[in-house]
Amino acid sequence: MDFQELTINMGPQHPSTHGVLFLQLKLDGEVIVDCQPHIGYLHRSIEKIAESRSLVQFMPFTDRLDYIASMNNNLGFCLAAEKLLGITASPRAQYLRVIVAELNRVASHLLAIGTFAQDLGAYATPLFYALRDREKIIQIFDKICGQRLTYNYLRIGGVAGDLPAGADQLIKDFMAYQRRILPEYHDLLTGNVIFCARSKNIGVLPKETAINYGVTGPNLRASGVAWDLRKDEPYLVYDKFDFNVVTGANGDSWDRYDVRMREIEESLKIIEQALGGLPEGDPVAKVNKVFRLNGEAYMRTENPRGELGFYIVGDGGPLPYRLKVRSPSFANLSVLSAMIKGMNISDAVCVLGSLDIVMGEIDR
Amino acid sequence: MCQKVYDIVAGVVSILKGLGVTGKNMFRKAVTIEYPFEKPAMTARFRGLVDLHPEQCIACSQCVKICPTAALQLEATTNPETRKKFPGVFTYNEELCCFCGLCQEVCPTAAIYLNQCYEVAYYRHDDLVKIDLLKADKYVHLAPPKVKELRP
Repeated sequence: MDFQELTINMGPQHPSTHGVLFLQLKLDGEVIVDCQPHIGYLHRSIEKIAESRSLVQFMPFTDRLDYIASMNNNLGFCLAAEKLLGITASPRAQYLRVIVAELNRVASHLLAIGTFAQDLGAYATPLFYALRDREKIIQIFDKICGQRLTYNYLRIGGVAGDLPAGADQLIKDFMAYQRRILPEYHDLLTGNVIFCARSKNIGVLPKETAINYGVTGPNLRASGVAWDLRKDEPYLVYDKFDFNVVTGANGDSWDRYDVRMREIEESLKIIEQALGGLPEGDPVAKVNKVFRLNGEAYMRTENPRGELGFYIVGDGGPLPYRLKVRSPSFANLSVLSAMIKGMNISDAVCVLGSLDIVMGEIDR
Repeated sequence: MCQKVYDIVAGVVSILKGLGVTGKNMFRKAVTIEYPFEKPAMTARFRGLVDLHPEQCIACSQCVKICPTAALQLEATTNPETRKKFPGVFTYNEELCCFCGLCQEVCPTAAIYLNQCYEVAYYRHDDLVKIDLLKADKYVHLAPPKVKELRP
């Protein structure tokens, strides 16, 4: 029998595309024949802006790349700039960076889990529990650096300010709270039959496909590849901490959720060790505000979404000649059209939610 | 048949477990506040609107140079008697400001700082883009009402 393809425009204003993503879906009945993601609705030319700002001035713009995990973006840029300039931060600053980066990873994963559950139809309840717990982290950040979303806390050579009085107690309280509250998520989602039926064996991402498309982060680890830059290419002081690289078995949507849940526990372990071994000293660096940039440097770090790379080229002047951002979400999104061919349209939302993309760093 | 019964029982148990979680949360203390009526206190390091102590400013222009979005305009004037520089014109464009706090970090005399205002809406666009930092009553209409100590 003859059939006609139906083209559906999903987005850019769609609640479950996680930002302004435009998916052009070709359907045969309910089955997806072709998927074409269109990006560019959140383009702010941040890479071009970098060419007219000094490195110190560019720091607030990195907050706006992956706005769910600003601290990790600050960290990636900071380390790239320090590699170019040959600066090393003081031990206390390095420990503080680990603490804030891991706290932000927990916050980011909580939001990923909450929105994923909402995409599957668990309307509002898991998302609001996740937001409630994320709020505690945000209040810690508010106390440390004075903002709730665009932190701009790290500086080249150190951090903007030492931990304020009482902040370490807040972090300890949060860790105890989070460990107490995590079983609730497992009761609510992990064991739930509807949640499992909606996400198990949906959107299987084979190991080879994931590597070929350059997928990184929890999405790659869910496919069974134990690749974590914190372990395999340690930066800062990550080699001093004892933590595991969490991997999944099948690479389906449920595994991607489960890897994030278990990574929260690993992050809490790292924060606990970092807080326990926090060295004394001054984390605020006394370095220049204007540098002469010579040569080039590339630094990659483990973002909550994957491998975030900053490539800075200098030509002797104070402004970068070129700055390139390798964003993990871009690679994670590009594998989507290969994954959802032949799937029902209702599962497309599930797969997209489990990939956990942020449009801010895809469009840049 | 046996498998089917087991699946149904497991399903019911998992849903009851989930309902237990939501039920537990019904009796927890609310984490939200009645926003327009009670307002959270800001933290000591909170970065709100840019503010200035005009008497401390030496018009060195460091804040203007470091500002990533060019939100500050400063014209320095020299006092003919004491030969000291002071700001003749100092305006602030809130529309461009990204609240990064770099200006207060570079200020050698701690004259420029970010205050605790967080309700930053204006009725007129002209008021927003040209705030005179030298005026003492520039943020009077944003004076925060009674606050509730929410954050430790």
